[in-house]
Amino acid sequence: MRDALCASEPGVGLVIQVVVLCLVALSAWLLLRVGRISLGQQAYFGIGAYVAALLTTVGQWPLLAALLAATLAAVACALLISWPLLRLPGLQYAVATLSVAELVRLGLSGWRHQVPQAGGQMAGPDGVHGFRDIRWLFEHQVGQTEYMLWALLALGLTVVTLLLLARTRLGLAMQAVGQDELLADSQGLPVQRIRLLASALAAAVAALAGGLYAHQLTYIEPAIFDPMLGIHAVGYSMLGGLATPLGPLLGAAFDLGLLEATRLFEGWRMVLFGTLVAAFLRWRPRGVLDEALLQRLSDRWRALGLRRSPVSAVPGPSRDSTLTS
Amino acid sequence: MDFLQRSLDGLLEAGPYALVGLGLTLGFGMLRRVNLAYGAGAMLGAYLGSWLHVRLGWPALVVLPSVAVATALAGLYVQWLCFHDADRSIGKPQRASMTVSGADAREVVALASSFAVWMQLEQLSVNLLPRHLNPFPDFASTQEWTLGALGLRPDRLLMCLLAVALVLGMTRWMQTSRTGLALRATADHPLAAHLSGLHVPALQRLGFVIACGLSGVAACAVLALEGQVTPMFGMWMLMKGLAAAVIGGLGHLRGVLLGAALLAVVEAHAQALLGPLGRDAATWGLLLLALLWRARVSRISATGGLHA
Amino acid sequence: MLEIQGLACAYGKIEALREVSLSAKAGEVTCLLGPNGAGKTTLMMTLAGILQPTRGSITFEGESLLGLSPAQIVDRGLALVPENRLVFPALSVRENLMAGAYRRKDRAAIASDIEHQLDRFPRLRERIDQLAGTLSGGEQQMLALARALMSRPRLLLMDEPSVGLAPKVVAEIFGIVRKLHAEGTSIFLVEQNVHMALKVAQHFFLLQQGRVTFSGTPADLAEDDVIQRAYLAGSDHSRTAAVA
Repeated sequence: MRDALCASEPGVGLVIQVVVLCLVALSAWLLLRVGRISLGQQAYFGIGAYVAALLTTVGQWPLLAALLAATLAAVACALLISWPLLRLPGLQYAVATLSVAELVRLGLSGWRHQVPQAGGQMAGPDGVHGFRDIRWLFEHQVGQTEYMLWALLALGLTVVTLLLLARTRLGLAMQAVGQDELLADSQGLPVQRIRLLASALAAAVAALAGGLYAHQLTYIEPAIFDPMLGIHAVGYSMLGGLATPLGPLLGAAFDLGLLEATRLFEGWRMVLFGTLVAAFLRWRPRGVLDEALLQRLSDRWRALGLRRSPVSAVPGPSRDSTLTS
Repeated sequence: MDFLQRSLDGLLEAGPYALVGLGLTLGFGMLRRVNLAYGAGAMLGAYLGSWLHVRLGWPALVVLPSVAVATALAGLYVQWLCFHDADRSIGKPQRASMTVSGADAREVVALASSFAVWMQLEQLSVNLLPRHLNPFPDFASTQEWTLGALGLRPDRLLMCLLAVALVLGMTRWMQTSRTGLALRATADHPLAAHLSGLHVPALQRLGFVIACGLSGVAACAVLALEGQVTPMFGMWMLMKGLAAAVIGGLGHLRGVLLGAALLAVVEAHAQALLGPLGRDAATWGLLLLALLWRARVSRISATGGLHA
Repeated sequence: MLEIQGLACAYGKIEALREVSLSAKAGEVTCLLGPNGAGKTTLMMTLAGILQPTRGSITFEGESLLGLSPAQIVDRGLALVPENRLVFPALSVRENLMAGAYRRKDRAAIASDIEHQLDRFPRLRERIDQLAGTLSGGEQQMLALARALMSRPRLLLMDEPSVGLAPKVVAEIFGIVRKLHAEGTSIFLVEQNVHMALKVAQHFFLLQQGRVTFSGTPADLAEDDVIQRAYLAGSDHSRTAAVA
């Protein structure tokens, strides 16, 4: 799917596809936040796409309702799948998510369910050929620009939700689990449940992306959600930074910027992107927008802006002096 | 009879799987890391082999070691970039924390790093030879032999024998040689190895590079049967290698034979029932089941180390 | 033989060793005492080359050990018996011993040394082909010790050999330490078990929060109540007073 973007011309269609990629990246990011690498978020992307498409074409549902239902379906699947999977240690979990995603893709490749439509055509998933004629946008006269704005809104809402989540107790718990599982566990945090919640959330976001994408493209096929999609999603997060939801957006923007800005890199994009990711992981494992940078930025912000309490103007105590040897 | 024939056909397909799984399981045993760039590295080597064969007209006998060397070099690159800190994985998790994040996070980073390299190497291969089908030196495929009511193909049989020989040979070398002991000790407990005076980083590099070289050999063997290499080959190698290695137990060298056999037989039946999609689904399904089952059976699933 | 001056070592920003200065004489058993968290294991790991110090110097037989890799340190003649044994669990007892002798090239002498170690530790001989991971705690301790001895060290470093072991086994281990000392091996020992340490060591240092706060003979130790203060428990001290 990533390479389908290569072929698209600049414009509204591209923006929507960028939005979709950002959402998938956020999906991977959520799991990275709780300390797990998932190479299988593309499965929920696919599930979301198929469910939403089915509901709007065969079921004649309104788009919003279909998207909602798609996210709920993905959440249900995620809970079912992640329950046994999250018991695995990190490495095995990653491989397992890849396996599950491929199984989903193969399953959808083998699924044919054609239903006659009003105009005499057949619609529905058609095995390897995918799901065609997802015409809801046309039938309801939703223009591309309008759809783009809705998509941007969806992305914006997701990002805002995640930013707000980070400030809640749950958000902090998630961060704790991601930083040091053993420590979090010994503090009484329900690590397994937190991770489960994160995967459910992540699946919802990925499914939303799938639903949006399917309707913009008017078709969806299993080849689109292959391992490279999931891998790129993780790559964006790791490059852009794990500390904030803006990280994966940065990563996605960077990669697509690299692609669009310079057609020079055609045929070498993955080499370059891969090199950057690997280099960053070697020397800056939490990405560009990592916790340290965020702390520095917020300190500077605080020094500039608020002078409410004298405490905030004084440089805070170094974290390590609270630890005795 | 059909069932038996199918099982036998399946079993004969196990040769390539075992060869492919051997390198992956050895690499994991040495570094406690799954090398996601495994298939891509071998594919790069194979593409190079194809190029040498087509452009320079080199014969199969010279192409094979070239591919192995190229793949080993790719492995060196992967190890340098992604798995350089593997010697810091100590037996016990150290709470005093010498790193920014815990041991788990390092695994995650290493895995992510290796798929970044996967991207690189895959695209490099395709750029080297842009066509979809590229010829590779092959064995002439001989006709089928018959054993009573069962038929069997000698080239596949040869592959199985090669796999068994390589696995057992590797195992024997590990058990009896001084270097083999050093590799096993380093794989088993890097910190204890440091303290015993073993040069851990160099040994880890050596073991990993051997594993990657083996993957190059495996790629040659497999492609020699097909006679051509395509861009799908990298993913195929990773998929089958992972499955065979995990089913047999990551780090268990002889286990790879069992894993490959089981995988191949189940696949054969799955294909008969559900077609080619079924075959691939069987691979992933078995891999998943093996992961879940092994985690339940042994709590020490991630300790790594090499076992015969 | 071993001179440590002003050594400091840190984990990131956390200083585990602040200012350590001590020395070990050839032919003696030198003991470093200290409560948990004092930095004893950090010091041993630094000596073994696993950790790099941030300041200070380590000199062994006149040559600096700074910046050397662990393998090079073994070459120089130091071998560490680490805390928690750290044997190779998947290797047999024999293979563990062979691993310990890895830096040596003299095959015949290695074989005879293995025999010698097995004589010294008969229980290991019984289990020679067993996997080290299946041995009991005491047996693993002996194996770790034997393995370290395989490299023919001139200075043997021992990090809390008594930890987690039954008293009878501890006595056995210390008996062997005494025997090694009698044979001329220099030993630098880290211990929490003051009682046992007093039986074997000729010189003591006390490490508290990354600094050496005491240096003296066993007699000095019995007089000074610094140990009592350091460990905050009277029991160890009163027992040693009774013994001394």
